[in-house]
Amino acid sequence: MSAQAKDQDAAVGGTAWLELDQITERLGLGVDRVMGEAGLWAPELAARALRQAHGDPPEAAQLLRAHRTALPRLAIGEPVSTTELKVVRRISSAFRNPPGGQVLGRTLDYVGRLLDLMPEDEGKARNAGSPHAEDTRPHAHDHAHDHRHRDPDHAVPEEAVRTPAHVLATFRDMGLVAPPRGDGDPEPFDITRRPARPGAPRSAWLQTMARADTGSLLYLWYGSDWRPAGHEVPGELRHGILPLRVRHPHTGRPVTVAETRVSEVQTFHSLPRAGELPTSLDVGYGLCFGHNERKAISMAGLDLLLAHHEGATDLQHDVLLTLDGPDSTGYTQHLKLPHHVEYRSVLERAHAAARGTRLTERDTA
Amino acid sequence: MTAQLTTELAGPPPSPGIFDELSKREIRRAMLSGIAIPGYQVPFGSREMPVARGWGSGGLQATLSLVGEDSRLKVIDQGEDAGVNASNLRRLVAAHAGCTEETDTRSADIIQSRHRIPEQPLRDGQVLVLQVPGAEPLAGIVRDMDEQRRMHAEADYSKMWVRLYEDIVHNGLITEAAGYPVLVEGRYIMTPSPIPRWDVPKMNDSEAITVLSAGREKRIFAVPPHTRVVPLTFDDRPFEVERTPGAACRLCGSQDTYIVQEPGPDGTFSAWVCSDTDFCRRRRTGDAPAAPAAGGTAQGGTA
Repeated sequence: MSAQAKDQDAAVGGTAWLELDQITERLGLGVDRVMGEAGLWAPELAARALRQAHGDPPEAAQLLRAHRTALPRLAIGEPVSTTELKVVRRISSAFRNPPGGQVLGRTLDYVGRLLDLMPEDEGKARNAGSPHAEDTRPHAHDHAHDHRHRDPDHAVPEEAVRTPAHVLATFRDMGLVAPPRGDGDPEPFDITRRPARPGAPRSAWLQTMARADTGSLLYLWYGSDWRPAGHEVPGELRHGILPLRVRHPHTGRPVTVAETRVSEVQTFHSLPRAGELPTSLDVGYGLCFGHNERKAISMAGLDLLLAHHEGATDLQHDVLLTLDGPDSTGYTQHLKLPHHVEYRSVLERAHAAARGTRLTERDTA
Repeated sequence: MTAQLTTELAGPPPSPGIFDELSKREIRRAMLSGIAIPGYQVPFGSREMPVARGWGSGGLQATLSLVGEDSRLKVIDQGEDAGVNASNLRRLVAAHAGCTEETDTRSADIIQSRHRIPEQPLRDGQVLVLQVPGAEPLAGIVRDMDEQRRMHAEADYSKMWVRLYEDIVHNGLITEAAGYPVLVEGRYIMTPSPIPRWDVPKMNDSEAITVLSAGREKRIFAVPPHTRVVPLTFDDRPFEVERTPGAACRLCGSQDTYIVQEPGPDGTFSAWVCSDTDFCRRRRTGDAPAAPAAGGTAQGGTA
């Protein structure tokens, strides 16, 4: 496998070796997508996978998953609340100026979709003159979001809060959101150890969506028959840094061992319930590794539907069983394997059925 | 330090690479459950393997959990040891477990296969691992998984029988081709994986253990030795295997093995060749038994 991959790499051409820091820095969203779909936070490994997969994110995610599954489980992370999220981007489309302010951060959203046709030489020259040109830290991408751009039209506090309170908290204070239902906070379902089937708890579907194939997740939400008229509003969209803590094996105290970046969305909609006035908002939650707002928004939209339509096994079936990238891409790949043993059997039945039809026609003639 | 910590927290260090010991233990437990309840689909926490899901990731997990350094492993795809999928998996397992690669069905301890059961009758002590793309025989009949499980639990297979009956009414015969549904030990309906109907009778009263593993669908099921495996059909509709009158393998001349079409000298599909390449080769050198496993010939006579 790796030998074949190397051969293919050699066949690609004589251009310079693609360095890992170039991939993490310049193709950061691709790296983030791979980490999200693999369910493993490891920027350098993801960059490696993306390079080995010739830039195909689902294939890179499969590489990373196969690597991840063979790693020993050293510890289980302590639960961490996203109120600790150090935001590098935080917007609310529900409020003009939410408590804590709008932090636009780095995004492609607000620039025109004009293909940059700057001559290559000029681009290189500009890059060489930029203040970041000397910045060769391998994880530059991880920290490159620090410069916040503020929308000048919005009167935000001079220093936006790095860990602003959730908009959800505001809604709760207003009494607009029903308190969380269900059986408290049970031990989460582990989809890597137990197959999740319809009827599985919410933790199973949230995990499934967090590492789902981004395109599949987007389609399932966007094309869903379950979507109501009107659309939900992402009351809060954040991208930021979350600590990973484990209990120290000797002292037993939680220690921060790493930081990950996540995208988080809380989305709100007022869905009618039979026999009830729509007095409270439904909430949907999305969280995934890296900067992938499309995924977090789709996930939150689907979570909202799943939570609202309790026991909708069709929707649960699609979410739990059709969204996994390695599953669906693997299935399409398997179709390319030889099937001639099976196909001889299929043709034999077709011939037999046709022969039977001819016999019947002769009998009735 | 890290190695020490790993041992302390997660047991002995795994052989490097693709599969850890704790996962293997889980798969073995699932296989034992499957053997204890023949034909019952045991859910398991399928791991991601370094092959695409659909390229035998389930079979690979079963095989990796079974092989040792002293095992002889045969892997076939469509009956061929040299198939690209087969070679790939055989190399992968041999490199990981240090087992010996084998192509002679008689000498193999573990045979992982995609879509075929070898023609050579299997013997006591052998394990046949079949790769399964779709584990649920009721999938085309009811979509709801709870309902599928209820039907299995209560052995309520009326809808399956109605489907077969309607098939006869519409088409004059049962059109199920490969992966023909079977009843295991009079209890569970099971898919035998997409093996041709030719191979289905070989599962009945087999000397070997058959393990069927679906990695994508995360289910393992099994048929222990000497278990009744009966293809579903009606009393007045004998089970039919693939049979083309007059066709024979162009290499070994056999008419009692599963053969697939090949282009003849005229460029049309006029020639036939054995799908089991090991058996065909031994037939030509006189190193094969007179009769293949009790497959198509034994029960196909009624066809």
